[in-house]
Amino acid sequence: MVYRPETAKPLNELAQALLRGHDTLSAAECELIATYVSSLNDCYYCQNIHGAIAAHHLKGNEKLVLDVKQNYETAEISDKLRALLAVARKVWLGGKQVTKADIEKARQQGATDLDIHDTVLIAAAFCMYNRYVDGLATWQPRDAEFYRWRGAVVGEEGYLNLRREAIAIPNPAAE
Amino acid sequence: MKPMYLPDVESSPQPCFQADTIRMLQAQGAEYPQILHLFAFRPEATAHLTRFTREVMRGDAPLSAGFRELIAAHTSAKNGCPF
Repeated sequence: MVYRPETAKPLNELAQALLRGHDTLSAAECELIATYVSSLNDCYYCQNIHGAIAAHHLKGNEKLVLDVKQNYETAEISDKLRALLAVARKVWLGGKQVTKADIEKARQQGATDLDIHDTVLIAAAFCMYNRYVDGLATWQPRDAEFYRWRGAVVGEEGYLNLRREAIAIPNPAAE
Repeated sequence: MKPMYLPDVESSPQPCFQADTIRMLQAQGAEYPQILHLFAFRPEATAHLTRFTREVMRGDAPLSAGFRELIAAHTSAKNGCPF
């Protein structure tokens, strides 16, 4: 992201526009869709960072995030989000796998065209982000605490113009 | 042209250059790729995709624009996306 700021900037701006939520789809729901698709793609970084941001929006409910990743069909989420996750899964399988029936099902659960549009774009964008991150073999921390901290920062501040003090990784040894 | 899955996406283009292109082509009675409707529906998100694509395809970099388009065309073909 620092290596290629020209491409990183619009990617971050897209994430911000897609994941901050709107009237009928909350930021937590958007982040859960991103987390779920990233887990299908087995992308360690994305599923953990977006899972942590989702948990931050869900008042720390990490269990719900895990439940969605493991089996969204039985997780304690709204039927609308369940139907949108089914659409996201189809996008992950391949765009042409999304059927009219998948769309109808989401509509019956109260999803608007905007909700469905954003779900498809989040799922497609994360297939790209996941491949970008893993296609260049990026290293990432394995410490759950890192993701909790970072998830709270991004959850509060968004993906753009993070304050300098919010970017620095806390180092208790130096304090 | 067949209707898309989401009628709202097709019927409510927001002000942007893709919306202008749609209006122009519709006025000519021409067929056009409906990807234009996707870009025109939610420009506050898709404008970033347009800028990303411009940068990654045409930005200053060692790979030629032609070679980058070949990579994009090859990947799209493998994904079964003829457009």
